[in-house]
Amino acid sequence: MATNRTAEVTWHGDLMSGSGRVDSVTSGAIGALDVDWHARSEDGAAKTSPEELIAAAHAACFSMALSNGLGQAGHAPEEMKTSATVTFQPGEGITKIALAVAGKVPGMDDGAFQEAAKTAKENCPVSKALASVPEISLSARLES
Amino acid sequence: MPRVQRQASAAWEGNVARGSGTLGGATGTFDALPFSLASRIEKVDGKTSPEELLAAAHAACYAMSLAGELAGAGTPPEHLDVNATVTLDQVEDGSHRIVSSELLARARVKETDQETLDRLAQTASEGCPFTKLIEASATVTVSATLEGDTHGD
Repeated sequence: MATNRTAEVTWHGDLMSGSGRVDSVTSGAIGALDVDWHARSEDGAAKTSPEELIAAAHAACFSMALSNGLGQAGHAPEEMKTSATVTFQPGEGITKIALAVAGKVPGMDDGAFQEAAKTAKENCPVSKALASVPEISLSARLES
Repeated sequence: MPRVQRQASAAWEGNVARGSGTLGGATGTFDALPFSLASRIEKVDGKTSPEELLAAAHAACYAMSLAGELAGAGTPPEHLDVNATVTLDQVEDGSHRIVSSELLARARVKETDQETLDRLAQTASEGCPFTKLIEASATVTVSATLEGDTHGD
């Protein structure tokens, strides 16, 4: 079964001095998020950006894929924390995504955890969709 | 221009079918958003999903790109509405894949015509970094319509 998710964005004016807003999404979970080019392309932003939303999508997708792999191995995670960092080079595009996960997984050894994390990184639907990003790195740490 | 990094974090507990997670962005503009497998592939239930966040990313990316193209042509938009729909589907081997992202834009722009808008809308998609990435595995479609500039905002 296909699943559709929609988002609505409004923009006023040109790229450099204009501004926009993510007005609404299917679930209603996020809304009224301001976006503009300066916040997107400079450090210290207090506004979200396409790259931050991609980071959130990838962190969530990877977490679900890894929980699936660990569960199938009989070791559902007690807790996992994942971060995704998207590097954006204006004029060039998205050049890197760094995934980092720390998991509490009872009964699992580090080798098997590393393997499961690698499989999740390769197979989660967002990783597949973003496979043309030049570098997607992974750091996985098992917590006791 | 210097490179820019944007970070988001997810916490997850339990297996994929019954577990659940929360999500936040480093800018603090969204925080503690719940997500789960059921809300991703079945009933939305007020929870976001990776595909919804990608739809938001694509709509925002495309809106900026189209604003840039229109401004470059000497006709900056008064107003753009962009709608992005990302579709996740089960493919032949049973796994899920993001198969498409559909962009719909409505533009209020003085002194342009539909033909010019169609051309700039296509160029804007090609110039949006996110389109470039997902085109490797998913279909991206673009449709833009010109709104009359007679009715106000």
